[in-house]
Amino acid sequence: MADLDRYPGVPRWVKVFGIFALVLVLLFVVLHLTGRGLGDHGLSRDHAPSGGRPASPEPGHR
Amino acid sequence: MTMSPGIRKLALTAHVSASVGWLGAVAGFLALAIGGLTSQQSQTVGSAYLAMELLIWSVIVPLSLASLVTGLVSSLSTTWGLFRHYWVLAKLLLTILATVFLALHTQPVGRVASLATERTLTSADLRQVRIQLVADAGAALLVLLVNTTLGVYKPRGMTRYGWRRQHQQKGSQP
Repeated sequence: MADLDRYPGVPRWVKVFGIFALVLVLLFVVLHLTGRGLGDHGLSRDHAPSGGRPASPEPGHR
Repeated sequence: MTMSPGIRKLALTAHVSASVGWLGAVAGFLALAIGGLTSQQSQTVGSAYLAMELLIWSVIVPLSLASLVTGLVSSLSTTWGLFRHYWVLAKLLLTILATVFLALHTQPVGRVASLATERTLTSADLRQVRIQLVADAGAALLVLLVNTTLGVYKPRGMTRYGWRRQHQQKGSQP
C-alpha cells in the first residue's frame, strides 16, 4: 500500500495545458517585443490619420 | 475560511453569473470588433468602437473583477481550495491572465473610440490595432471557454500541496 502514499505526479492534461499556455504567452511577448502587438508603439505607428474619404458614406449621406 | 452552505451557494451563483456574463460580453465585443473592421458603412464602424468602449468599461471590466473575486471566495470557502487542484489553479491563472490582458486593451479601444468621435473612420485608420482587437477578442473568448470547461468538467489531478494537505487531514482523523 506504499504506492498510495506516494504523490502520483502531474497529470498529462496539466502538462499539455502548461505547454500550450507557455507557447501562447511567448507568442504574446514576442509580438509585443517586435512591435506588432498592442501598446503605445503599435498605436503610434499607425495612428496617423489617413485624412482620406470614408470607406463608404452612410446611406443617405451626401 | 468557513462559510455557511447558504453563503457558499450565493458565492458560487455570483461566480457563475459573473463568469458566464463575462464570456457573453466578450462574445459581443468580438462581434463589434469584427463589425468595426469589416463594415463598409462608416456610421456602423464608428458606432461599433464607441459601443466597444462602453462595453469594456461598463460590463467587461466589472464582470472580470467580479469573476476573480467571487472565484477566490468560492474556492477558499470550500474543500476545493485555491492551490489544491490543478483545475482550480489553471482557472485562477487564466482569469488573472485574461484580466491583465483586458486591462492592457482598454487603452487601444479608447484610442480608436476617441478617433471615431473626432471624425469618420476610414478603413485604413488604425487598421493594425483594429485587426489586433479582433484577434485578441477571439483569444479572450477561447480562454474564457477553456475556463468554463474546466469549471464544469473539473479534471482530476491534485497539486503536491493538495496531496500533502489531504494526507495530513487523513492522518489527523481518528
